[in-house]
Amino acid sequence: MSYGGHDDHHHDHQHSHWGPHDWDHGHGGAPHNSWAPIMLAFGSSIFLLGFTKVFTQTWDSEASIWTYAIHSSQLGLLIAGLAIFTAGLTVFWRQDWSHSGSYEAKAVGTPFRTIDIRKVAVWMFLMSEMMVFSSLFSTYIRYRLGFDNCVELFESSIEPGSTVVLEAGQQCWLPASYFIAEGGYHQEYANAALGFMPDTLIPGAINTFALIISSYTIVLALKTAKDSSLSDAERSRKVGNYLSITLFLATLFLTFKLIEWFIGFNIGHPGDWYYFHAPSLSADHFTIHESAYTYCHHWDHHGGVDHKGACEPGMDAIFDIRMSASTFYVTTGTHGVHVFGGMVALAYMVLKAYRGGYTPQNAVSIEYFGLYWHFVDLVWVLVFPAFYLY
Amino acid sequence: MIRSMNKPRSFGLLAILLFALVLAPSVQSYPTGISGAQDGGCSCHGQTASSEVVPSLEGLPTELEPGATYTLNISFTGGPSFAENAEPAALGGFHLWASAGVLAPVDGMVKTNSDGSVTHTGDDKDDTGMGNDQREWQVEWTAPMEGGAKFTLHVNSVNGDGTNGGDLWGRLTAEVGPQPVEQASGLTVLASAILLMVVITLGCVIWVFYRQDPEAFAWERFWPWFSDYITSTDHKKVGTLYMVNGLFFLGVGGLFALIFRVQLATPGNDFLTQDEYNQFFTMHGTTMIFLAAMPMIAGFANWIVPLQIGAPDLALPRLNALAFWLNPAAALLLFSGIFSGQGADTGWTGYAPYIVSHTAHSGATLWVAGQILIVASSTISGINFMTTFCTMRAPGMGWMQMPLFSWSMLIATLMLFISIPAFGIGLIQVLLDRTIGTVFYEVAAGGDPLLWSHLFWYFGHPEVYVVVLPAFGVISEVLSTSARRTIFGYKSMVFALAGIGIVGFIVYGHHMFTSGMSPVLRFVTMLTTMLVAVPTGIKIFNWLQTMHGGSLVYRTHTLWALGFLVTFTLGGISGMYFPAVAMDLHLHETYFVVAHFHYVFVGGIVFGLYSGIYYWFPKATGRMMNEKVGILHFMTGFISYNLIFWPMHRLGIQGMPRRQHTYFITTDEYFALPPEAADWNMLITVAAFMFFASNLILVYNMISSGLRGQKAPSDPWGGWSMEWLVSSPPPTPSHDPSDLPVLEFAEIHEDGEPGFFGRMIQWMMIPEDDGGEEE
Amino acid sequence: MGEHGHHTILGFDRYAFNFWVLMIFTAIEVVAVALTFSMKGTVSMNTVVFILVSVGIVKGVGIAAIFMHLQGDEDSRVLTATALFPVFFIVVMVLFIGLTHPDAADTLPAWCRPGFYT
Repeated sequence: MSYGGHDDHHHDHQHSHWGPHDWDHGHGGAPHNSWAPIMLAFGSSIFLLGFTKVFTQTWDSEASIWTYAIHSSQLGLLIAGLAIFTAGLTVFWRQDWSHSGSYEAKAVGTPFRTIDIRKVAVWMFLMSEMMVFSSLFSTYIRYRLGFDNCVELFESSIEPGSTVVLEAGQQCWLPASYFIAEGGYHQEYANAALGFMPDTLIPGAINTFALIISSYTIVLALKTAKDSSLSDAERSRKVGNYLSITLFLATLFLTFKLIEWFIGFNIGHPGDWYYFHAPSLSADHFTIHESAYTYCHHWDHHGGVDHKGACEPGMDAIFDIRMSASTFYVTTGTHGVHVFGGMVALAYMVLKAYRGGYTPQNAVSIEYFGLYWHFVDLVWVLVFPAFYLY
Repeated sequence: MIRSMNKPRSFGLLAILLFALVLAPSVQSYPTGISGAQDGGCSCHGQTASSEVVPSLEGLPTELEPGATYTLNISFTGGPSFAENAEPAALGGFHLWASAGVLAPVDGMVKTNSDGSVTHTGDDKDDTGMGNDQREWQVEWTAPMEGGAKFTLHVNSVNGDGTNGGDLWGRLTAEVGPQPVEQASGLTVLASAILLMVVITLGCVIWVFYRQDPEAFAWERFWPWFSDYITSTDHKKVGTLYMVNGLFFLGVGGLFALIFRVQLATPGNDFLTQDEYNQFFTMHGTTMIFLAAMPMIAGFANWIVPLQIGAPDLALPRLNALAFWLNPAAALLLFSGIFSGQGADTGWTGYAPYIVSHTAHSGATLWVAGQILIVASSTISGINFMTTFCTMRAPGMGWMQMPLFSWSMLIATLMLFISIPAFGIGLIQVLLDRTIGTVFYEVAAGGDPLLWSHLFWYFGHPEVYVVVLPAFGVISEVLSTSARRTIFGYKSMVFALAGIGIVGFIVYGHHMFTSGMSPVLRFVTMLTTMLVAVPTGIKIFNWLQTMHGGSLVYRTHTLWALGFLVTFTLGGISGMYFPAVAMDLHLHETYFVVAHFHYVFVGGIVFGLYSGIYYWFPKATGRMMNEKVGILHFMTGFISYNLIFWPMHRLGIQGMPRRQHTYFITTDEYFALPPEAADWNMLITVAAFMFFASNLILVYNMISSGLRGQKAPSDPWGGWSMEWLVSSPPPTPSHDPSDLPVLEFAEIHEDGEPGFFGRMIQWMMIPEDDGGEEE
Repeated sequence: MGEHGHHTILGFDRYAFNFWVLMIFTAIEVVAVALTFSMKGTVSMNTVVFILVSVGIVKGVGIAAIFMHLQGDEDSRVLTATALFPVFFIVVMVLFIGLTHPDAADTLPAWCRPGFYT
């Protein structure tokens, strides 16, 4: 590999009239211009302005509490921000559209010599992403260690001779896994579908497998795109298919996450062998606003269809579990936002793939997106046990 | 190039139109109010005053007798109270403000408010007074002993249906006696000055455009020229944008400082209210760090780094432009609310739990949002620069042949983009706390305010080095060139930089000694903080030794570098009082801290950057800067700067508290301040104005020299790093990508056999087949 | 950039091998937790945490090494070094932010607290 420079045969490459790729400085060597940066920047600024106007809490000075409301009349600003951002992203990618692997710049300095510059950039990006998630995990560790576990707190309070007195609204930590892996309210249904597993874990478990499969399909897409033995048409079709599957799995992931957070689902009726009951976390009152969560140590399992059973006398307490919910939703939400970002990129790549955009010369583009995607998978490997299982 | 921009441009215009359409209704309602009820009216009875309701205020004398008491009769005509009142028991109300003198009720129909104004009784359910059932009221007013007064009267004409709907209100103002000279509020001064600056900046842009080629001037050519700049991804143009942005906000930050220095000039001053003062010092800190220092550093990095390491451009040009444009976009959010008195009032540290409490201004939410964009900008530019450093050094330039400015930028960038995600996550938590109601910092839910301090300072302390290390780099370049020799101890300089980079991450606890954090961490960070003095000391001594072994040429940039050495060393010495926990507890909340960090921020960073401006200006513009004006700038700037901040040490030890909007000369046991403190404060204020003015000299010099200065050769100072290889101003791309410069004779930094780290790097690297190994 | 080649592990395609390892280990993870639940009280929480941590490490290494090409490519060594670079800073962060508590001030010995004068 020669130092710097682009081989001459690259110059016959036809680039998009939207402007060339980052590293194609054109024949005169002049840098190209782009409206994308200014649009992306002001778009995100307007989006954030809209966000703070749509989600505004007001202080109720009489009751000394915050009241929350979604001001849908202000949604326009938020949507306008998103629209400008999307337009900016379109411009950005439209300039990349024609990138065919020519002008792929190589590093000239140690220690990355001969490695694609973009690949190094992706790794640099992943370094900062690692710090993002370590910050979230530091927050999690600090709060998880700093709070008493609600279940243990309650058990210690009902021990004979215990000096622990529970106040109403006592702050404690009720981990998400209490609702997800241990069944929470729904212990009575735990054996309904699979004999041993709490149903609430099902969406999370499916998600975990979905992400791993999508990691696999993206490497398959890379492998196929690099395969020069295939005809162009067949390669485009196969790469497109693999990318589509990845996109589908990512969509599945977010869908299940929303189901798990807000919607929940029921299949069949109690008593059916296939009865499946996965209530959402918010239906279980695991929300960021839950300062008076009614904790029942043992449900008597003779209530109605939902968790309508009464607490056994003396076996309940009112807890403030907002912190565990905040930590859970923000950490998994940040991960979800990363998945969403990946979906947006995947949508672009699927389009490009079906139109024959990926050839062995520029298959590395798939690899660089794949690095990000695997990283998101890797983070889930840590998030899943920390928030869903333990 | 321009031709291909048509579609994106129409997209952009459409987006702007859409934005304007959406924003138009929002502007009116946001941020809230301009200056309270007197102007905004009685919001409970409709939005705007009605001309139907005619108030009257009788009983005011024509000749005011000081101290006399007058009975004022208030009444009104018109409005629903007369027309369609359903229940005669509720007829109307009033609210009367007097700017001077004392208002007092005569009977049970009127009551006094906490702000001294009077209003009718019975204005809510708990109040059983009958004042709501009247159309006329009487109050007593005692005139002040000197001067006159202004009255503002609001009356409500009520339709008696028990709700506010259908009610109307009217307004009346009256004056009596001699009126004082109208005093401008701090906000008005600020708004006018910033507006003036915007106008001047735009004027300068147009003038620069005109002066480029006065013969061929045509307005049609302006937009292509301008849009070429704002859409550019060339590192030099983006660097220029960064510099303009940085200098503009340096001015804005300075304006904040001047205005609150006016407030602090005399004890017990009331030019600014406490509320305004809080916003001003918050925005002063935020502006100076995030909108002035960091963009200026990024500007230098953009301009110089690719030239210096022999790269055609940065690794990711479009992301580079994005990183820049996030700055002005963030500035809009950061500043929102300040002109309506609702700006962030949290301090630049935004400490929890205040920042998530309801008492913090609504502007704090957008301040947090703006900071998130700053974080995004820093992350993106960090990735970009790291990639550039790691991959695009010219052939032959190993790590140990990189010029020191590039080294300092490398370490600074690394620290920035490793540390800033912690801040970003903290900000997102705060933003969500303030909007959707998560409870990360809500003490009532067990939130730990210290977590915010930790996340903030995990970023905040490295940030200090992020801004100061590039100044170190500039000084290294300037001193070695001016001393006409190589830098003394190149290798120790590099390891000192790297040492600062590592140790800088484990010292941040010293910002939190008084916060009650873990004592173990206090002890650890006390030791590590003292450790930072070692690499910094190495650098100082190396610079001294460079001058000692060289033969110094006194140019303006040399003078600023020498000034830097003096002031930064002083700042470093005053800094050594803080790692000792006991001393820190004593001095933490005083002006001693203010003196210390301004000595390192202004004396360190700003002086370093000024030095850099004089040093690289010929390279960037192709014109020499005027040395005489430059020396005038240095002399006035250096002297007035020291006059501002040196007395602050003394004030701090005497006990003047920082972050407080005023102070009093008192012998009180805890707040004792001697009379001389007032004199020192006045001196500081005067010097602050001088310092601000001296910076205008720089701006004048840059513009006039840039247009009319003497033509610069490609290497005016005799420097030998790669930026001096190319012409002044540099071509585009800066170095020809197909013919990159090769560093062939670098014996000066040659290490001989690779050491331990060299062998490590060789082990990691891809095996070479074409030789040219340099480590 | 060389081809990544079709390396195999134990005769399987390396991607496929890694994929199935990940699937199986995730299944182990879920089943371990489900079993803990159904056998409440008989399996200690420490055992579960141990299983989760070790499975997490295996999965993480698998993804990083094979899917992210940190093993087997010619540029793997330097990129592994890059990927491991932030570890120091992460450790500092977890130690300083995650694992320190202000409560620690209450547990100080008497001679280290305010008001102790002799």
